[in-house]
Amino acid sequence: MEVSPMLDAADGLVRIPAEDLRTLVVGAALFAIGAIGFLTRRNLILLILCGELMLHGVSLSLVTFGKLQNNNEGQAFTIFLLTIAACEAGLALALVLALYRSARSLDVRLWTELREADVALAPIDAPAAVAASSYGEIPKLTPAGAEPAELPRRNKPRK
Amino acid sequence: MSETISSMLPPDLLLLLLILIPGAPLVSAIVTAVFGPKLLRCRSHLPCWSALAVSFICSLLVLLALPTAADPNALDVIPPAASSAPDESGEPVAGDGQAADQQELPAIAAVDIQSSSRSTAASPELIVVGPTWLELGQMSVGFDLRVDSISAIMLAMVTGVSLLVALFGSGYMHGDGGYPRFFAAVSGFVFSMCMLVMANNFVLLFFFWEMVGLCSYLLIGFWFHKPSAAAASRKAFVVNRIGDFGLIMAIFLILTRFGSVSFSDVLGNPGMIADLAAADETLLPLICFCLFLGAMGKSAQFPLQVWLPDAMEGPTPVSALIHAATMVTAGIYLVARCTPLFMFAPDVQVLVSATGAITSLIAALIALTQTDLKRVLAYSTVSQLGFMFMALGCGAAGAEVTTPAVTAGMFHLFTHAYFKALLFLAAGSVMHAMGDVIDMRYFSGLRKALPITHWTFLVGAAALAGVPLLAGFWSKDEILAVLGTASSTGNYQSIFRIIRIVATVTALLTAFYTFRAYFMTFWGEERFPVEAGHHPHEATPIMAWPLRILAVCAALIGLAVGPTHQFQTYLQRTVGLKPYEAHFHLDVMVMSAVIAIAGITLAWSFYVVSPAVPARIAGMLAPFYLLSQKKFFLDEILYGIVVAPLKIFGRICVFFDRAVIDCLIDSLATVPASVSGLLKNFQGGVVTSYAGVMWFGAVAAVVVALSLF
Amino acid sequence: MSGSEQLTALLQNNSVAIVSMALWIFGILWMMPGRKVTPSRGVIPGLVLTLTGVAGLLLSFNAVYADVSEEVMFWAFSIIALVCATLMITARNPVYAALFFALATLSTCGLFMLQNAPFLAAATVIVYAGAVIVTFLFVIMLAQQSGAAGYDQTAGRAAPTVLASFVLLGTVSVLVSMAPPEISTVPPVDDSLRLAGAATAGEDAAGTAPGGGASMRIAPVDELLAQEAAAAAAAEANKPEPVVNLLSRATVSHPVGSMKGLGRSLFGDYLFAVELAGTILLIACIGAIAIAPRREEGAL
Repeated sequence: MEVSPMLDAADGLVRIPAEDLRTLVVGAALFAIGAIGFLTRRNLILLILCGELMLHGVSLSLVTFGKLQNNNEGQAFTIFLLTIAACEAGLALALVLALYRSARSLDVRLWTELREADVALAPIDAPAAVAASSYGEIPKLTPAGAEPAELPRRNKPRK
Repeated sequence: MSETISSMLPPDLLLLLLILIPGAPLVSAIVTAVFGPKLLRCRSHLPCWSALAVSFICSLLVLLALPTAADPNALDVIPPAASSAPDESGEPVAGDGQAADQQELPAIAAVDIQSSSRSTAASPELIVVGPTWLELGQMSVGFDLRVDSISAIMLAMVTGVSLLVALFGSGYMHGDGGYPRFFAAVSGFVFSMCMLVMANNFVLLFFFWEMVGLCSYLLIGFWFHKPSAAAASRKAFVVNRIGDFGLIMAIFLILTRFGSVSFSDVLGNPGMIADLAAADETLLPLICFCLFLGAMGKSAQFPLQVWLPDAMEGPTPVSALIHAATMVTAGIYLVARCTPLFMFAPDVQVLVSATGAITSLIAALIALTQTDLKRVLAYSTVSQLGFMFMALGCGAAGAEVTTPAVTAGMFHLFTHAYFKALLFLAAGSVMHAMGDVIDMRYFSGLRKALPITHWTFLVGAAALAGVPLLAGFWSKDEILAVLGTASSTGNYQSIFRIIRIVATVTALLTAFYTFRAYFMTFWGEERFPVEAGHHPHEATPIMAWPLRILAVCAALIGLAVGPTHQFQTYLQRTVGLKPYEAHFHLDVMVMSAVIAIAGITLAWSFYVVSPAVPARIAGMLAPFYLLSQKKFFLDEILYGIVVAPLKIFGRICVFFDRAVIDCLIDSLATVPASVSGLLKNFQGGVVTSYAGVMWFGAVAAVVVALSLF
Repeated sequence: MSGSEQLTALLQNNSVAIVSMALWIFGILWMMPGRKVTPSRGVIPGLVLTLTGVAGLLLSFNAVYADVSEEVMFWAFSIIALVCATLMITARNPVYAALFFALATLSTCGLFMLQNAPFLAAATVIVYAGAVIVTFLFVIMLAQQSGAAGYDQTAGRAAPTVLASFVLLGTVSVLVSMAPPEISTVPPVDDSLRLAGAATAGEDAAGTAPGGGASMRIAPVDELLAQEAAAAAAAEANKPEPVVNLLSRATVSHPVGSMKGLGRSLFGDYLFAVELAGTILLIACIGAIAIAPRREEGAL
C-alpha cells in the first residue's frame, strides 16, 4: 500500500488507503462544488439541483467509509439519504411551482419578506435583456400532450 | 327578648352569622360581576337583593343577641380556663370547646370565635379570629372580625339602608346599560363597609377604608362617559388620599408605640394608653390628629369637603347609600371607635369640634343658595356630619362628658342615615320623574303629580329640620344638650360656647334651606321641564315602598330609641365608654323645636307666601349671595393654594425630564442603534445570503478544527 | 515543530494538490456568470483549467488500484463527475444544468460501483435519472421563460464563496488523511466471532434475522468447529464485541455491498427506519400534491 504525500505516517498508525482517500476527496469536492452553486446562483431550480449535488458528495463519502469499516450501515444510510432526497425534491419543486406562479420568476432574490425593514434590497435585474448565451439558442421544450390552458402563452413558436 | 334570641343561637350559628354578614355581599358581588353582563343582565339585582337581605337579617340577629351572647356566663363559648388567658397576639386559644367548634366547621377551620377576657356583661364583644393575612416583624394582621355594640349598630344601619337602597335602585336604574355593574359595585361596597365596621385591627380597617373608597370611586364614575362624572370620581379619590395619608401615619404611630394594631390590644387597654400618654405628652395628640385627618377626608370636613358635592354625579341611589348614609359616616365611626385614645388628647377633641362647627356652618350657608336639589342635600349632609363631629369633640370638657358626646354623635349618625337616605331617594324619584332634571328652577308644584314622593320627602325634610318627635329632633337635641354641658363645664368653656351658638344658627339654617328646597320643589304653580314629557310619572312600586319604609323609619326611629334611651344603653357598652344616666333636656328641646319651626316658617313665608322676597334680599346682599352661590370659592382657593403650585412644579419636573434625563438616555441609546445598524445588513431576507453566512461560519470552524488537530 | 513550520511542511508536501485546486478555482471563476449580465467569455479556457485542476488533484494522491480496469474507470468517473458538476453550477441555462447534473449523477453511480456498492449504483440511477431529473426538466419546462432570464446569467459573491469552499475542501482532505485508526480500516468480522456473539449476547439479533441463522446452519461442520475454537480464543483475549447493530457488520460470508449484507442491515437493524422512510415518502407525496396544483383562492 503506497502512502500518499498527503499522509503523514510518522506516528505509525494505520491510515486510510490512498485510493479510498482519493474517493473521499472526490466526494468532498462534489460537496464543495454544490455549496458554491447554492451560494452563488439565483435560479430556484438550480439551487435545488446544487443541494442534490451536495447530497451526492455525502453519499459517496458514506459508501466509502462503509467500505473502509467493513460495515453495511454506510450503504443503508445512503439509501435513506436517497429517500429523503426524493421527498425533498418533490416538495421543493412543488414549492418552486407555487412561487413561480405568484411571481412569474424563479429569482430567489424576490423572496425577502423576512428581511429587516430598512435594509436595502439585493438588486433584481429586469428579466428581459437576453444576452448572447455561450450555448447559443435556448432549447424550447414543447409541452407534451394537451397544452396547459391556464398558462398564458408568452411566446409564439418561432419559425 | 335578647336572652331568648341568644339562647336560640349556639356559638356555631353565631359564628356563621358573623361570617355571613360580609360574606353574602361578597359572594353577590363576585357572582354579579362574573355572570351579570352575560347571564343575569336585567336580573342582576336578584343576587344583590338576596345577599343584602341575608346580611340584614344576620345583622339584626347579632344586634339582638349581642348583649348576652358575649357574656361568658350566659353563653358557654369559652371554658373559663381558656378565656382567662387569651393570647396577646390574637391567635386562637386552643380549648376543648373550640376544638369541637372547629370540627363542626371544617370549611372555616382557621376561624374561631372567642370573647375576650375583658368582655363582660358591661361591654360585650364577639371576636372571630380569622386566618393571618400578613406578618411583618412584630405586627401580625389577621382577618379578625369584631362585633361590639358600636359595630352592631353600624352593621344593622348599613345593611338595612343598603337593602332599601338596592330595592329602590333596581327601579331607578332599570334599563341602564351598566345595570349588572351597578349591583356588583353596590354589593362590593356593602361587603367592604361591613368589613370596615367589623375589622378588629387598624390595618384591616385601613384596607377596607380604601375598599369603600374604591367602590365610591367606581360608583361616582358610574356614568364614566360623562366628563363631569369622571372628573368628580377622580376628585373624590384624590381628596380622600390626603385623609388616608393621615390615617396610615396614625396606624404607623400606633404600631410603633403600642406594638400592636389590634383594637383589643390598643383600645381595650386603658392602662397602657395612660402610661404612654404620661411618657410622651405629644404622642396621643399626634396619633389622634392623624386619625382625625383620615376622618376628615372620608367624612368631608373642612377643608377636605370639596369632593362630596361633586360626588352627586353618581346615580342617586349611590348618593343616598354611600355619600349620605354610610360611607361618609366612616370617619365618625373611626373617631367614636378611638374614643379611648381621644380622651387623652382634649386639644384635638376641641379641634374636632371646631372643624365640625366650621364645616357645618359653611355648608349650611352654601346650601341656602344652591338650586340643584341634590347639591342642597349634599351640603346638608356635610353640615350634618359637621354636627356629629361637634358632638364627638365635646369629650374635651371632661371624662364624664365623653360618653354622652360619643352617644350624641353616633345617635345623630344613626338617625341621619335614615332620613338623609330617604331625602336622597325622594330626590331620585323627583329626578326620575323629571327626566333627569334636578335643578329646582325648572320645576315646581310637584305635590299633586308625585304624591308619594311629596309625602315621604316632607317627612324626611321635617326630620332633618328637627321638627319635634321626628328622628332628627331627638338626635340634634342630644347634640345641642351635650354642647350645652360642654360649654358649662371643663376647660374649654368659651370655645364650646361659640360652637354652641354656631350649632344653633346652623340648626336654624338647616330648617330653612331644607324647607326652601321642599317648597321650591313641591309647592307653587305646577311646572315640568321639557325632558319630563307631558305627564311625569310617579315612582313605581319598587321605588315607592323603600320610600315609605324609610319614611316610617325617619319618623319613628328617633322615638323608638331616643326617649326610651334604648340607644344610649346599648351603645355605652362599647369598650372605652362608661355608662351614664341619660335624662331629658327640656329647655334644649323647646329651644330646638322653636328653631325648627322658625326656620320652616321663614321658608314658608319666603317661598310660598311671597316668592319675590328672596330675589330682593339676594339683590340687597349681592356679595354674600355670590359668596354662597359660588361655595365661598373654596374650590378656587384650593386650586390656587394646592393644585396650581403643584402643576407648576410638575411642569418643571417634565422640563427636567425632557431636557436632561431624556437627552442623556437617548444619546446612550444611539450606541446600540448604530451597532445594530451594521449587523442589520446581514438580514437581507434572501435565502442564499443566510446560507452563505452559515457556510463561511462552517468553513471557519473546520479550519479551526484543523489547527487544533 | 512550531505551528508555522507545520503549516509550511503541509503546504510543501501538498504543493501539487494546492496548485491543482488553484487552477480549478480559476476555471470555475472563468465560467461563472458575473454580477451583471455580460456575454460569456467562452467555455473552453475554463474547461481546460478545470480538467487540469481535477486531474492534478487526483494525481497528487499517487495511488493506483491493483486492477487497471478499475483504475481507468475511477479516472473516467471522477473526472466526468467533477467536471460536470463544475459545468452544472456555471451553466447559464437551467436545462443544461439539469443535464450536467444527470451526467454527474451517473458518474457518481460509477464511483459507487467501484466502492462495492452495485445495488446503490443501480438504485441511484433509477431514482435520479429515472425520476428526479425528469421531474426537474418538467418543472424547468413549465417555469422557464423564453430566452435566458437575467437571474440565470448573473451570480453573486462568486470569488469569496469559491475560495472558502476550496479552503474547506483542502482542510477536509487533510483532516481525513490524518484520521485516527478508529475510523480507518476495520477488517471484516470473521463469522466465528459472529457465532460467539450470537451465543453470548446476540439472541435478539438471531431472532430478528433468520437469514443469519440459516447461513450458519448451512456452514460445513469442520468450519463450524474451527470457528468455535476461534471464538474461544477471542473470549480468552477478553475482547467483547459490541453487540449493537450486529447485522450491519460485514462478515466473510456477507461482504460489504453484497445484496444479502445490505438486506440484513436494512431489514434487520434498520427495519423501523425503513418503515419510517416509506411513511415520509408518502407524506411528501401528499404534500407535493397539495402544494403544486393551481387552485382557487382558499380551496383545500
